[in-house]
Amino acid sequence: MEGPERGAGGLGGWVKNVVFILKAPGHSTWRPQSGLRRPDRAELKGAEGNASTLDRTDCTQRPGHRSLGRRWRRAPARSVTGRRPSRDGTCAVIGRREFPAAAARDPREAGCMGRRRLRGHRGDAVGALPEAIAALSQTLPAGPSPEIFRRAKFDRPEAAPALWQLLFRVLSPLPADGAPASPASPASPALEAQVHLVKSALRSQGYPRRALAQLPEDGSQGSRELLLALAWLLARGPLLEQLLAQTRVRLGDEIPLCECEALASAGPLPPRQEADGPVDIRHLQWLMGKLRFQWRNLITSQQEQCALLGKIHSYTRGCHSDRSLGHLSVAETELFRDPEGGRQLLQRLEGENAQLEAALVWRRQELVFWKWMAGGWGPEWTAVQRASQEAVGRELAALQRAWEQGEALAQTHGPRRLVKRDAGASGGPGLRAAELIGVLRSRETCLEAVLGRLQTRCWQELTRLAGARPGLLWILPPGR
Amino acid sequence: MSIVTVQLGQCGNQIGFEVFDALYTDSHCPQGLCSKRENEAYQASCKERFFSEEENGVPVARAVLVDMEPKVTNQTLSKAAQSGRWKYGQHSCFCQKQGSGNNWAYGYSVHGPRHEESIMNLIQKEVEKCDSLSGFFIIMSMAGGTGSGLGAFVTQNLQDQYSNSLKMNQIIWPYGTGEVIVQNYNSILTLSHLYRSSDALLVHENDALHKICAKLMNIKQISFSDINQVLAHQLGSVFQPTYSVEGSCHYRRNPLGDLMENLVPHPEFKMLGIRNIPQMSENSLAYSTFTWAGLLKHLRQMLISNSKMEEGIDWQVRPPLSGLPTLGKASLNRGLHFNMSIANLVILRGKDVHSADLGGFKDSALYTSWLEPINAFNVWKTQRAFSKYEKSAALVSNSQFLLKPLDTIVGKAWNMFASKAYIHQYTKFGIEEEDFLDSFTLLEQVVASYCNL
Repeated sequence: MEGPERGAGGLGGWVKNVVFILKAPGHSTWRPQSGLRRPDRAELKGAEGNASTLDRTDCTQRPGHRSLGRRWRRAPARSVTGRRPSRDGTCAVIGRREFPAAAARDPREAGCMGRRRLRGHRGDAVGALPEAIAALSQTLPAGPSPEIFRRAKFDRPEAAPALWQLLFRVLSPLPADGAPASPASPASPALEAQVHLVKSALRSQGYPRRALAQLPEDGSQGSRELLLALAWLLARGPLLEQLLAQTRVRLGDEIPLCECEALASAGPLPPRQEADGPVDIRHLQWLMGKLRFQWRNLITSQQEQCALLGKIHSYTRGCHSDRSLGHLSVAETELFRDPEGGRQLLQRLEGENAQLEAALVWRRQELVFWKWMAGGWGPEWTAVQRASQEAVGRELAALQRAWEQGEALAQTHGPRRLVKRDAGASGGPGLRAAELIGVLRSRETCLEAVLGRLQTRCWQELTRLAGARPGLLWILPPGR
Repeated sequence: MSIVTVQLGQCGNQIGFEVFDALYTDSHCPQGLCSKRENEAYQASCKERFFSEEENGVPVARAVLVDMEPKVTNQTLSKAAQSGRWKYGQHSCFCQKQGSGNNWAYGYSVHGPRHEESIMNLIQKEVEKCDSLSGFFIIMSMAGGTGSGLGAFVTQNLQDQYSNSLKMNQIIWPYGTGEVIVQNYNSILTLSHLYRSSDALLVHENDALHKICAKLMNIKQISFSDINQVLAHQLGSVFQPTYSVEGSCHYRRNPLGDLMENLVPHPEFKMLGIRNIPQMSENSLAYSTFTWAGLLKHLRQMLISNSKMEEGIDWQVRPPLSGLPTLGKASLNRGLHFNMSIANLVILRGKDVHSADLGGFKDSALYTSWLEPINAFNVWKTQRAFSKYEKSAALVSNSQFLLKPLDTIVGKAWNMFASKAYIHQYTKFGIEEEDFLDSFTLLEQVVASYCNL
């Protein structure tokens, strides 16, 4: 995964574009890929809400200047964002080609703006953008470099494959072993399959834009649409938290308390296929029956797991240094048996720490990202953009309410560690299994009632159909 | 994962003993033909499934014995205890002092409810001893009195109380020329009730087992014990440990579940049969060698021609040519006695299992049109030899093999019913004519389903 350093290195010319974009949200003459218009000073100074930002804008006048970081405080008297033919055809990025090379040698040399800024200048939106995006990228699985994000906003085709892959990784279920995912994992399917799955997953989540569904299957285009889709996913729910939760290293033995979040963000649906020719209903019955047996076998396996967990918890009582836990989990017991596994666990924990730190950076600075996203999409995008903004606002409000309500709300979702206590033990944090069982039983009753109603409705429908054809004899299958 | 066995009636208890004995003997067989470590894993797996550990180290069979007379259960208990190798639990037996006179209705409507609590408590105790319960074996006769009526009742109770656990009924198909006049009534009542509450019916035909004893084992005076031992051998060759899908490092955890998922997911097709090869007396075994190719060729022909053993196979029977429309297949079947399969499971045990070629079983001509061989055929393997056979193969098959016998029984029962013969024995204890009619309807449907493959 590309780290922030490289991203920062490639940001030199990007900053200039950022300046321009921040200038006027909804600016109607903004056109991607057509070369940027040189802003005049009045416009730059008058950009709403960004005057102070502009003062700090880092623009260097001289093309090819490498030490961007050192000279970044100079105001952009004249933006040198005119046309400049560059090899890859991207518009007007001065001396940008030097920066990745410079960054590879020494990120500081290329101007790691985030670090500079933290040294004492007021944190500001513009300079913080590459840092924010880099943090976002590190938190996401298969996160591309900030440069890709920038190109995507210009709808550059070369950014499309990386974004398809990012969306694929975000939308499909992650491996259960918690190992950090690598983009080059052999299990990831071909680009076309990823495109297909991303489209169907977004559709099933209610993504409103048809333009995305119409993008070519070879994954060669549409980076801007994909960026918008990513923003939509980020805005409408706690996406990063969910992803981090899925891949976190699990030390304890856990059970999930409430599955609704996992269900809501279930992986992409398999693509619908038309059957070749008529399908024999017996084949369908066979498949249904197989599925039922697999369910029952799964339940039996889970019961076995519970029984064995109970044994391990009993046998290791008194072995845990944390008195409130009291006994070891399976993972902890394995650590005793296998030192090599312990080393791997340490590595995974360190990787996870890095991800979490990046997530914190992102959280501090994500408004920068949203402001960047807010501008320059043109009138047809504003509806989606507004919806995203509203969603972000709602999310923040919900968070605040949750914090006000305290622990109770937080406890009803997500996995919980299993801890075995003596029957007489009282007090201590956490939910009692007995209470939880009670809750689950009442939910079960509700669901059974719903099932009963649905079955009655089916029955009535069948009776009506049977009545409609008097010559037809209905023989019911044996059993339930 | 463990299997709890419920042995019902004289038949069930005698067979149950032979089954546990065969399983134990095989798992402690010194000629496993595999490494020591693998042998130990095999033993441990078998033990976990069928036995629990007692304090003094003698394995206790995971079984509950039920009978309305004390004679057979006492014999079974003492036989096991005397062997010194394994035994039944002291409190695993439930028996009464009275018989039921081969009256299905009495077994179902009187014995059942009266002793329901005691029997289910015993089963519950056995279940609690398991770390994980895969399911139940219920061994019973189909046409007798106690075993069949009470067995149907108990199976229904297991369905209610352990709805997630799997239930496989081992049912003994009576001799065609049986002695009990009402055996056909009993049979249809048993079958229809089991079809509703059981997941799979593994049928063992007395006639077939008898023939195996006579022709293959060369036994002159065939006793029930001999027949039961052949049956036990067949069951053992299916349910002893085999490698899981992950490969030869692990044994399959839940063979009952895997078997059911592969063979009986369709609610109308629940009847299974076992064939195995080779089957011979110990004396002959010493002088025989086998190749997988030969064994599998015979097994395949046994399946196609509906033969019960490797002698007297009709080699003329061929599967229909592929490419013919389904209707054509059906009419051809009836003409050539070709036994069409829905699904098959082949289990191979012994030397060089990995070299065995199973292409013959993957022929789509063997199977019904609505299931591809890739879904219909499965194979389990282990290098560990079974019960002194250097190579052995077993076939569990969901096919038309019981179509004719079932049709015959239903026909005979219907003829009796039409003249209301002996119905009063049943109505006296709450089995009404309507129950008979329901049974006929269900079984006619089963016959039709198997016929129209």
